[in-house]
Amino acid sequence: MTKYRVLAGPEGYLPPAAACVGITLPEVGGALIEGRHVPEQEALSAIVDKLLSAKRPFFFPGPNLLWEWKEGVAEKAAALRKLADTAGARVIPMPDYRPKYPMINPAIEINPNHPNLTIWHNKIDVCVFAGVHCHYANVALKIIRGGTDCYTIAICGEAGHEDANITLRNAGIPQIEALTAMVAERRRLS
Amino acid sequence: MSKRMLKMTTAFADVMPAEYVELVESGPFGKGYGVADLGSFKELIEEHPLCAGCGLALAVRLIIASLPTPEDTVVVGSTGCSSLAFPQIALQNIHSLFGNQNAVASGLKRALKLRFPDKHKDVLVVAGDGATADIGLDMVMHSWFRGEKLATIMLDNEAYANTGGQESGMSPEGCVLNMAPTGKKFKKIALPEIARESGCAYVASVTPVQPRKLEKAVRRAILVAREVGPTYVQVFVPCPTNYKFKPQETLSRAKQKEKDLTYPLREFITPEAQAYLTAVEGGGKRD
Amino acid sequence: MPEQRVVSPEFMFGEAPREEQFITGSEAVREAIKRANVDMAISYPITPQSESMHLVGDIFAEGYVKEYYRGENEFAVMSSVAGAAMGGVRVFTATGGPGTMRALEMFPTWVGARLPIVCAFFTRGINSPLTIQPDTIEMAHLLDTGMIMLHAEDAQDLYDMILKAFIIAEQTEVHIPVGVFADGFFVTHTRDKVRVAPVDIKLPPYLPYSAPVPVMDMENVPFRQMRDPFVMKSNYVSYAAHASWQQEVLAAAERARPFIHKYLGGLIEVENPDADILLVAGGTAVCQSREAMAAAREEGIEVGLIKVKSVRPFPGDEIRALTAKAKAVIVPEFNRVGWLSREIRNVVQNPDRIVAGPRVFGGMTMPPDLILAEIRRYARE
Repeated sequence: MTKYRVLAGPEGYLPPAAACVGITLPEVGGALIEGRHVPEQEALSAIVDKLLSAKRPFFFPGPNLLWEWKEGVAEKAAALRKLADTAGARVIPMPDYRPKYPMINPAIEINPNHPNLTIWHNKIDVCVFAGVHCHYANVALKIIRGGTDCYTIAICGEAGHEDANITLRNAGIPQIEALTAMVAERRRLS
Repeated sequence: MSKRMLKMTTAFADVMPAEYVELVESGPFGKGYGVADLGSFKELIEEHPLCAGCGLALAVRLIIASLPTPEDTVVVGSTGCSSLAFPQIALQNIHSLFGNQNAVASGLKRALKLRFPDKHKDVLVVAGDGATADIGLDMVMHSWFRGEKLATIMLDNEAYANTGGQESGMSPEGCVLNMAPTGKKFKKIALPEIARESGCAYVASVTPVQPRKLEKAVRRAILVAREVGPTYVQVFVPCPTNYKFKPQETLSRAKQKEKDLTYPLREFITPEAQAYLTAVEGGGKRD
Repeated sequence: MPEQRVVSPEFMFGEAPREEQFITGSEAVREAIKRANVDMAISYPITPQSESMHLVGDIFAEGYVKEYYRGENEFAVMSSVAGAAMGGVRVFTATGGPGTMRALEMFPTWVGARLPIVCAFFTRGINSPLTIQPDTIEMAHLLDTGMIMLHAEDAQDLYDMILKAFIIAEQTEVHIPVGVFADGFFVTHTRDKVRVAPVDIKLPPYLPYSAPVPVMDMENVPFRQMRDPFVMKSNYVSYAAHASWQQEVLAAAERARPFIHKYLGGLIEVENPDADILLVAGGTAVCQSREAMAAAREEGIEVGLIKVKSVRPFPGDEIRALTAKAKAVIVPEFNRVGWLSREIRNVVQNPDRIVAGPRVFGGMTMPPDLILAEIRRYARE
């Protein structure tokens, strides 16, 4: 079994791709916490812990949740926004993946070619990715782990992201609403 | 492009950057704008790193503004100066390798025809003179021979500009450039004439000096390619950086070459293309 | 053409009844593509792959493939296939030998662009000098392109691997090209028994929006999208952007492993693994190894066999474990450079036990006696 742990960075010049050092994607119904396979419920709970203990948590919605380009997107976007608001997290979009010229405005956007600019500028300690095409999410997640100490969470609608510190897979409105309910409950109790 | 694609989700509309808000409010998708409307709408192109006075950059801006249906246009480009502008343009576009742009476009066009048989998905090739007339010449010509429904636009700055100004097949004879220290030894390739003989239904050679004329050539090329056959437009775009003149002289140089016929403007239209254009352009409609 | 109904891959590869046909490798390609629900195929002539693509053209004319044409050279064909894949359709093509070399720049391009193209390679010698005869040296040139590489032993493997390649390639977390390799002539032009599924079933269609990158059709977001721009250290683009992208495509090949296990039953197949002498081979060298094993058994020598089905990703851990106790690891290959023995040398403990040969190249068949001679040599020690 691999000894590599997918921890928050900074790590080296660029950390290795987790899939190349033995980390495997979760099965359906499962999730990963720092490279370890766990049941989805455990990961949901861990995500809530991270969101509530974060000093400056941010959500990064990608193009797939920024435009109503197909059925179901508006509802999923609304559920994600509600989660962010309930958790007291701010939102900065990833509106596209282009190498923006001359540079992005890190106060209002994040981009997979230089995600660390946005993390550093806003002093983000915990971030959540959702609605970003998987290739670009993976490109961004390694750069964040390489150059920052930001903790990354992926609410992925496909197979998940080994390079995130916590990743869900096949996550949709049920998982997002479950997270919102857990966050609301914990805040109520605290 | 379905109308839904231009509707921001209510959940995140408040955090979208201004360039996207403006595109939704006053962009050209579905509006039928043209070059005459420039200045009154949000253009598709954002900031790019091309040089001051770049003729190519001006031409790209005019070409994008000339598209009949930008909302259903996919561009295939090639490595070169233009590929530094296209990531910033709000169209889906492919950066092919170098020279294979017409081969990539052939596959793309046929794929889009399969997936959207009842819609016009315009596939436009935009590439430089090196990519089109040198390294890509065989693939460009074979797309013409096969009759691929593509409009090919060459941005002709008469050199390999992006790599520091080397001689290309489109450089004028005698021109001293990198890799031609004692002057180019053979004539500028007459690609419009080759295009005419290779199966293109519409061919034009223009410059950005007269924007409406460039627009007409681009629109005709795209429209004819929808139904009749392949088309080719060659645009002279002087390069101040590599030809070593002042950026503010770009247009006057183009104008001079138009006037003294060292860059002759021409247009070839097959009868079939002419019949089609007459039908779609109509009498008295805007150019 | 019969009406075809869509079935799950699991049904096509598992419970679907099979009928035995006595067909060439080229015909096995035809049978696979008939059932693969391919949208587009583009062809170009080169021996020994031409016949396969003639037959794909024939079934296009019958309606099994929606679009097909002959391109102008292999670099153009591989470029057109890339354009089609970016447009969101399932594509197939084939080449071999000098054709592979002609198109070489496109293969890492396909991988970096995350295109789930399936390409068959019917391996033959590479100039200079020219030979149309079988040789697997082109595989050495492709090992580091990043594409998934499956090596077929025979026409049955070829049929199965082509169909399974589409399913493996198109997984969202994989989504890179798969090369299915078979030795030219030995597989393409010889007849063999191949068990094929009924012709009235086909694989599910490709779902373009399951891709991990946007599709170039102006019907999905983001619409401000180039595939793929210059990504390099300049203008505040992170120094790590290019590196991270390259790592991601390597990771994509790793993510194929569970699917290769699921659909191919593993990256390798093993017979008699406890023997002191092991043969490790791929392609038709496996057939010759089987002959040598049978002959050795008659002489009282027990030999094991590891058939390498997936060259990329490479079954390093499996081979390391299986060869741990062997006295000799013999690697017969159809090429002069010994790329397979180099791969094995990288993963086994005590690589001095590797016998890097016998090698036959330029088109000779490999007499099993050559392998048997090595077996006898190490059995004596």
